[in-house]
Amino acid sequence: MKRLIFVVIITGLFIQASGQKYITKNGYIGFFSHTPVEDIKGDNNQVASVLDISSGEIVFQVLIKSFRFEKALMEEHFNENYLESEKFPKATFTGKIVNPSAVSFSTPGVYEVEVEGDLNIHGVAKKVKEKGTIEVAKGNISGNSKFSIIPEDYNIKIPNVVRNNIAKTIEVTVNIKYPTSGNQ
Amino acid sequence: MKIKRPYRFILIVILITGFAGLIAAIYLFNLRNKDLLKEKPNFIITAEELRKEFESDENASTLKFVNKIVEVTGVISSVEKGENNSLNIALSTGSSLSSVICTFPGITDNPGLVAGQTVTLRGECSGFLLDVLLNNCVLISK
Repeated sequence: MKRLIFVVIITGLFIQASGQKYITKNGYIGFFSHTPVEDIKGDNNQVASVLDISSGEIVFQVLIKSFRFEKALMEEHFNENYLESEKFPKATFTGKIVNPSAVSFSTPGVYEVEVEGDLNIHGVAKKVKEKGTIEVAKGNISGNSKFSIIPEDYNIKIPNVVRNNIAKTIEVTVNIKYPTSGNQ
Repeated sequence: MKIKRPYRFILIVILITGFAGLIAAIYLFNLRNKDLLKEKPNFIITAEELRKEFESDENASTLKFVNKIVEVTGVISSVEKGENNSLNIALSTGSSLSSVICTFPGITDNPGLVAGQTVTLRGECSGFLLDVLLNNCVLISK
């Protein structure tokens, strides 16, 4: 029993000493637009994110320019006409896990969470609340979510000419892996 | 019906121009991202200098480097696999906070890159987030 208490205390100290914020700069956020005319997919593998497991706070940051497309013209339109990346180079999310107690960050497993906060795209901030999962594994913690956004909500204007090429709601995928051991 | 000669000529010109335009439009529409191995770099710089440029004046450096092809040399500090077979190579810059992150898109095999190696990579600059970000990277030498 004494030994067990000792182990618990040491483990507790170790967790505290190792810090409760996890950082990655190699996260992924992608989006997908499906219409009968064409499918458009943008991938960003340069997502910076911080997860504070003690408070449940979570921050994402991306450069709009980092989204990659299959076709050069899509990338150009996305940056120059729709997202205006010169004027609004970054998109950010700052929020919190609504139910942090549902996650045991020390026990491997997949936990359902809800994240709430401000999503800032194209210079427009909106309150959002979306479902996702936190997966605790050996050596890393992953945050995953899939949700939809409406470009008009962020004052992104799609010209009538291409209105049929771009979906009314865009599916967003978030896959972030935070290393919890070793170098980041 | 017989079309008069000058009109026939004009008609043919219009048809040829239209056809060429259509081909150009299809070509442009389907144009892929550049293959950076075939492109000349706009800047040749070390990872440390690149980070310092962005840190001293982010706005000026954004205008200078973003959308430009940058060939950067540095020591690899980390190699991370990402979604869609992407590979992120971080180069040390003499700062513990910021590095230069170079993303190789859709690469199935790591071309033998490991931490500690000195490499030269070529990529398209996306700007500065917490690090200087380069995209569509290719390996020039190691």
